[in-house]
Amino acid sequence: MPGHAAAIPQGDLGRVLAQRERRFAAALLAPAFLALLATTTFPLLFLIGTSTFRMDLAMPFADGFVGLENYRTLLADDRFWSSLLVSLIYTGATVVLQVALGLALALLVMDMKRGQGWFRIIAILPVVLSPAVVGMIWRTFMLAPEFGIVDYLAINAGLGSKNWLGDPTLAMVSVVVIHTWQWTPFAFMVLLASLASLPEDIYEAARLDRASAWQRFRRITLPLLRPAIVMVVIMRTMVALTAFAAIFTVTGGGPGTATEILNLYAYRKSFTELSIGYGSALAVALLVVTILISGVLFALRRAK
Amino acid sequence: MIARRIRLIAVLAITLVFLLAWVFPIVWSVLNSLKTDSDVLAYPPKLFFTPTLEPYRDVLFGSASILPNLISSFIISIGTTVITMLMAVPAAYALARLRFRGKKFAGFYVLATQMLPPVGIIIPYFLILRNIGWIDTYQGIILIYLSFSLPFAIWLLVSYFEDIPFEMEEAAYLDGASRMKTLWRIIIPQVRGGIAVTVVFVFLNAWNEFLFAVVLSGNTVRPVTVAMFNFISVEQTLWAKLAAVSVLAMLPVVILGIVAQKNIVKGLTVGAVKGGGRR
Repeated sequence: MPGHAAAIPQGDLGRVLAQRERRFAAALLAPAFLALLATTTFPLLFLIGTSTFRMDLAMPFADGFVGLENYRTLLADDRFWSSLLVSLIYTGATVVLQVALGLALALLVMDMKRGQGWFRIIAILPVVLSPAVVGMIWRTFMLAPEFGIVDYLAINAGLGSKNWLGDPTLAMVSVVVIHTWQWTPFAFMVLLASLASLPEDIYEAARLDRASAWQRFRRITLPLLRPAIVMVVIMRTMVALTAFAAIFTVTGGGPGTATEILNLYAYRKSFTELSIGYGSALAVALLVVTILISGVLFALRRAK
Repeated sequence: MIARRIRLIAVLAITLVFLLAWVFPIVWSVLNSLKTDSDVLAYPPKLFFTPTLEPYRDVLFGSASILPNLISSFIISIGTTVITMLMAVPAAYALARLRFRGKKFAGFYVLATQMLPPVGIIIPYFLILRNIGWIDTYQGIILIYLSFSLPFAIWLLVSYFEDIPFEMEEAAYLDGASRMKTLWRIIIPQVRGGIAVTVVFVFLNAWNEFLFAVVLSGNTVRPVTVAMFNFISVEQTLWAKLAAVSVLAMLPVVILGIVAQKNIVKGLTVGAVKGGGRR
């Protein structure tokens, strides 16, 4: 149609082309956005709806609209507050450990001339595995009393056999260690990549100024690495808050509710105790917590 | 000189401990999957033994075969990948290359959908799918997998589309090619590599998913990540078989991970520049 278009005045041609581009864009976007609306936005609205109902699959006769009743129950629910606390401990501990260990290892490996390739390959292994498989392996071959390797090492070290997943404190430590084991390679890989992209000449100048290794790290590496570190923290926080398989398959939230993060509480309430209405309110609370925490983290990223 | 040597040895020792810690649980599972029942239970644990393929024969072709679950996993992962790519490639192209009103909002929307906790998606979907009889069906699971695979694929692909020079499209338009033709003949071949990487990661994420699968699976459709827990029970855990199943569940993703090695950082941090991320 180029011959035809030439007859149209310049301004109109631009408008016609822009309109065509818009229509083309709309056609290309439509399938994906309809699918996203159907699988994310619609469930969210539905969820907010069910959170205002009493809905018990075990006792359907008592179902009905209750307004904000579920949320009032939630605020007075000790198990909710304790699961929120467990979430914050789990998230805080795993994220700090991942970043600290990942950064330390990246700094150690960075100057390695040989053997770096091994790290790059091996770091991939835990990260690509399903958290469900990881949980299963740790629960059995690593932590099972008198069978798992960790228990074997503990016995040989004179600590004696421990109930790694049956004791509340040890169970919490175990799920934190498992999550850290799986995802430290992620922090390591990202931070190693950013370290490799830092400009060499600043370090030369610092060396000429006789700055010590610690000074170079504090004054140069850390500030330059800050954006990458903050990015890792944000991503890992979002993931840890909604971790499911990594805890569900190892302790199921137990013993009791010792490792029950808010995400798991919402699941257990909905699908084990079959209180869908209250479970929905818990899921909405989790969404609110996620938004609040990510809001704080994004504000931190913008600061300075 | 000596101080330097000590430092070097210390660094080597520390890094070796890390390497061992990461490799060990995986290698130990592989070793256990090659043991007889008595070797698995031996105390102290046996590092050296005569390997056997018995556990694999049992879990693949024995009475409680895991083969249908492996097939389930493949159908779900391949189905999710194909449908995701069919929708994500055009959408990513539009977001990366075309001018239209609301583009910024559209990009933000794709990222924001990832904030929604998966448990908040599965509760309503469980109710809906139960009503229309889609629990324990492939279409039910694949549909809900789009909730995480689409935003991921769109953002990863956008980063590849943005790398193509604009001149290529302009030259094609001047030759009178239609937009669709340009996209199909000129642009898509340019991002073949990016599409391949995206396919790998979408498959990987679908294979590894657990929460949705646990709620929506039943006797017909049950991926291997869920089915492997049948080998643990209160009375008796079938250790060697359990190890063999976990190795089978790990194998495809480990192969894909090593294939996509160079792109793994990009695949893991996609969309992170603006926020988001997944389990």
